[in-house]
Amino acid sequence: MNSTVVSYLTGFEPVKQFIAFLTKSLGFDVTALLTFVIFFLVAFVIVNIMAAIGGLGTYAERKISADMQLRIGPNRVGPYGLLQFLADGVKMIMKEDITPRDADKFLFFISPIFCMVGVFSTLAVLPFSSGFTLTQLDVGTFYLIAISSLVGLGVFLGGYASNSKWSMLGGMRGASQIISYEIPVTISVLGICLLAGSLGFNKIIAQQAGLPHTWFIFHNPFAFIAFFVFFTGALAETNRAPFDLPEAESELVSGYHTEYTGMKFGFFALAEYVEVFVVCGVASALFLGGYNVPFNLGGDGLVGQLLQIGAFVSKTLALYYVVIWIRWTLPRLRVDQLMTVCWKYLTPMAIFNLVGMAFWVYWFNGKSIFDLIFAAGSHAAGGH
Amino acid sequence: MFLNTLFFLSTFLIFLSSISLVTTKNIMHSCIFLLGSLIGVAGLYVTLGADFVAATQIMVYVGGIVILMLFAVMLTGGKDFVSRAQALMGLIPAMGNKFSTFVGILTAAVLVISTSKLFINLRSAIPQNKMAATESTVNKIGKLLVTNHVLAFELSSVLLLGALIGAAIIARPKKIF
Amino acid sequence: MPSNNIDVFMPIIILMFLGVAICLLAFLASRILRPSNPTIKKETPYECGEEPMGSAWSQFNIRFYVVGLIFIIFDVESALMFPVVSIFREMVDQGNGGLILFEVLIFMFILVAGIAYCWRKGDLDWVKSFNVQNNNKLNKIKE
Repeated sequence: MNSTVVSYLTGFEPVKQFIAFLTKSLGFDVTALLTFVIFFLVAFVIVNIMAAIGGLGTYAERKISADMQLRIGPNRVGPYGLLQFLADGVKMIMKEDITPRDADKFLFFISPIFCMVGVFSTLAVLPFSSGFTLTQLDVGTFYLIAISSLVGLGVFLGGYASNSKWSMLGGMRGASQIISYEIPVTISVLGICLLAGSLGFNKIIAQQAGLPHTWFIFHNPFAFIAFFVFFTGALAETNRAPFDLPEAESELVSGYHTEYTGMKFGFFALAEYVEVFVVCGVASALFLGGYNVPFNLGGDGLVGQLLQIGAFVSKTLALYYVVIWIRWTLPRLRVDQLMTVCWKYLTPMAIFNLVGMAFWVYWFNGKSIFDLIFAAGSHAAGGH
Repeated sequence: MFLNTLFFLSTFLIFLSSISLVTTKNIMHSCIFLLGSLIGVAGLYVTLGADFVAATQIMVYVGGIVILMLFAVMLTGGKDFVSRAQALMGLIPAMGNKFSTFVGILTAAVLVISTSKLFINLRSAIPQNKMAATESTVNKIGKLLVTNHVLAFELSSVLLLGALIGAAIIARPKKIF
Repeated sequence: MPSNNIDVFMPIIILMFLGVAICLLAFLASRILRPSNPTIKKETPYECGEEPMGSAWSQFNIRFYVVGLIFIIFDVESALMFPVVSIFREMVDQGNGGLILFEVLIFMFILVAGIAYCWRKGDLDWVKSFNVQNNNKLNKIKE
């Protein structure tokens, strides 16, 4: 059964009494209205938090790169420069908005919106905790992969609409890179769905537990490789270095958003940073145990939910740090190398992993490698 | 309530984007309106409770087909093909010439007559908000794919293989030698 | 408590709406606040300081199209695989694992054959340098 944040909240006794009270006093059944209101409020809160995380992502990017290059980085606005992203946002709103003369005005206007819608729609299934996930669809992973392809469309249209050669090259590269790397990512996700026997995030996470030996990344050797395939593909899908060919500043000026100024550029950047958070969240949900807290602390109460959110966000932010770290460490690939990496290395590896995991599930009845080791150990020790 | 709202939104999206699709003269804009129409169809699938089909619709059409169409437009050189030469009365490029318009109207008439039976019972046919809590369709589809319809499953793979090889051969540059 | 199963799709619509609304609100706010004094030079596409030569909407490499085609094949393939993998474990528990594994293997094998063919024929190489190969052949003939 699908469960949502509404079904979680209405499980509490005071909420039930509140609904009954409202229904009695207003004279009609408020369940449908309240469902909408709760969904809207939670979605609004999540969108705002994610926008803040995206903004802080730009700050973290600059601060971490400064640390790596023995610089100081932004330190003027707010404590440690933490409010830099707000200042950037205000600056972007105040900037003059230039649309190139020969541009396709309609597409130029609509492509940042495509990026934003594509990224924000994925937040609906991102599992923050067992209760506070907006909706836990039975087709969760599949839906997330499907809807995030809108971002690639936005990138391509942004590049096309500008009618600038740099933008056009960046847009074509971006679209072909994003769709190519979707293949290994999708096949890696298929493998995890095979291990869990479900496509829903809640069921995939429920098969794991708090401690690392129960995570799917350590379930079997194939899943271990699949994690790295997934992570590499996700880096490329979000146009992060070393795969940031669509916006390679040394060859394409700024890629698909060369002609974009002001808030339209801001939304491209924001969509990119939020998407990095989303793919890191998906990686931690599928491979690193998701919101499971070690030793089953908390539970279904509010404290337990907060602990779960903490576990999920800390795993995700750790991966986020790795993404930024990789960006400032590795040099950029060439465009032919990019396609070689995707089609000749990652895709065959992903298919190999999928087949390997199918064999593993068939052969060992879905037991993880640690289960087998413990069983063998207890057998050798003369246990039962 | 939400069922009706979603149905209304989806049909509204399909309607608006289809009208824009045939009336715009810019082929890139047509692709984008087609995208809106396809997303609307996904919404309609959701109202039927077919969550997997809706996700597949978004995955294959929005993520794949529309991008491929945009690439194909770029192959032809983009701007030179903005409007078609044979536009009827110079107004609506998608209407084609007189013959194709005639065929189109004929097809539409046949479709309307043959589907009008569906619409007669429209009021009584819809169980208003009486849809029971359905379970996900993914497992059912999966079971059917590997048991009753396994031949179709394997044959689809052969079909995909044929498409892959055909695409590769067509797109291959012609050799001089 | 959802009145029926459809309600679980409501957040998706809300989030799409929020995504559009945030964009439009920000564009509106910036339209009110920002200066706007366009000049011809400002509205020219950037081309490293030169006057742009012609339109950017020109014919593109067919390579992009091939990548798109191969992508769609795999897209449809993974869309077909998703329901199968979601019941794989259940089938293994019921004792039908060998049969399902066999079917999945055939399915994968046919597709891997396709990608192997493309690989062997060089369709996966980004810069398929026919000219270079032909030049090599020419050189061999000359030798």
